[in-house]
Amino acid sequence: MPTGMCAVLPVERGVPGASKEGEEEMHYFRKFVVAGLAAGLGFAAIPAQASDDPVAVRQSLMASMGAAAGLAGGMMKGEIAYSPAAGKSAIATARAVSLSFGDYFPAGSDQGNTGAAPSIWENADGFAAELAKFTDATAKATEASGKDGPADVEAFKAAMGPIFGTCKSCHETYRKKN
Amino acid sequence: MKKAIIVILLLGVIAAVAGWGFSAPTRLSESQAATLDEGDPAKGELVFWAGGCASCHAAKGAKGEDLLKLGGGLRLETPFGTFVAPNISSDRTDGIGAWSLADLANAMTHGTSPDGRNYYPAFPYTSYARMSDKDIGDLYAFLKTVPAVEGKAADHELGFPFNIRRGIGLWKWMFLDPAPVIAAPANGTEIDQALWARGRYLVEGPGHCGECHTARDFAGGLILSDWLGGAAAPTGEGRIPNITPVEGGFGSWSAADIAYYLESGFTPEYDSVGGEMVHVQENMARLPAIDRDAIAAYLKAIPPVPPPGS
Repeated sequence: MPTGMCAVLPVERGVPGASKEGEEEMHYFRKFVVAGLAAGLGFAAIPAQASDDPVAVRQSLMASMGAAAGLAGGMMKGEIAYSPAAGKSAIATARAVSLSFGDYFPAGSDQGNTGAAPSIWENADGFAAELAKFTDATAKATEASGKDGPADVEAFKAAMGPIFGTCKSCHETYRKKN
Repeated sequence: MKKAIIVILLLGVIAAVAGWGFSAPTRLSESQAATLDEGDPAKGELVFWAGGCASCHAAKGAKGEDLLKLGGGLRLETPFGTFVAPNISSDRTDGIGAWSLADLANAMTHGTSPDGRNYYPAFPYTSYARMSDKDIGDLYAFLKTVPAVEGKAADHELGFPFNIRRGIGLWKWMFLDPAPVIAAPANGTEIDQALWARGRYLVEGPGHCGECHTARDFAGGLILSDWLGGAAAPTGEGRIPNITPVEGGFGSWSAADIAYYLESGFTPEYDSVGGEMVHVQENMARLPAIDRDAIAAYLKAIPPVPPPGS
């Protein structure tokens, strides 16, 4: 419900300038309503700011995933020396992206500069199934990663490989061609 | 005045006769057909993947063994209408199991069916026309080994005038040319000529890359001067990218980047392949590494096509 909070917050911010005589009662009433709504929505208020532009958020999430995949791929190809800490970092990024990415496709965010295909909204169940593959793969990788990260590059390949497999399977149908 | 009318009428008759003549489906000559040899099914399997046959003729979303069930049915929605991929399984009545090798060669290199009808160029014979007789012979041997799938695919759904198959003969007369598109590697590149030539064969022939990556004119013919310079997607939304070595674009990919992308599906920025290209990439991943290197060598040494407006 982050978008709901967005609508409410500016009211609270606008209050000091508007608190003149006669409006005092209204002022308190509004504060009361806002407080109640904020309490009801809990910490949903935190992502509310960012989701003003869901397209920008999801693109930055995918950029993080791309950077993590670049690190991972470089290590898998032997172009970057493998370290368990770097392996753990790549897997942790993938985990965080997989858990949050799906929250940034509200209805109407198919317009503008986006690579998101209309099929995301036309076939929401199919898109959810692809996201589930992504989160399943990152859950298993996170477990394999453990406290110190996969011990060697072979262990890392085994953990990261299935995550890589899910990129294509979703992009095939749910991203515009390129 | 009377003379002018007679001349116009005569010209009209000539045009009609010529149009009828030029639109006639062509075939291999008897002597060409006689030199064809049924080949090796194992080699034919590589031709099958290089040609991307399963991407249209297998069921939508097919994976693994199902890619060899070539019952057709995939719908290609284009500005000319909807084309439905036919059954090319080994079934003798619904598929192509009863075809001779010459039938397959005529279909693939002349766009002509065994009963003498023109195929629509949604079947990319304009590219397959550049394939070697040997590859077609090997492919023929392989296609005999795939499972028979019963049931004919639905008919194409095309409006006038595209529903007149004879007219495609004129289109073929204008656009079907088995000559290579790029005569020689671009100047100033020191490359392995044999590798480049193999790449050209794969890209311009069986790989039929130009069919999507090259823009088309109003008549649906490829604009060869903009070869592989990118185009509007033939089906659905989006754009097919420019894969010429253009600065600020695909030119930043090294040959190793291209080969790795075709093998793994990842771009140098570790974005993944998407859309129809997923099938293409998975097909290319089945080829020997040297073939992916050849494609990369070719793409690095073709004329860059500047993006529109530059």
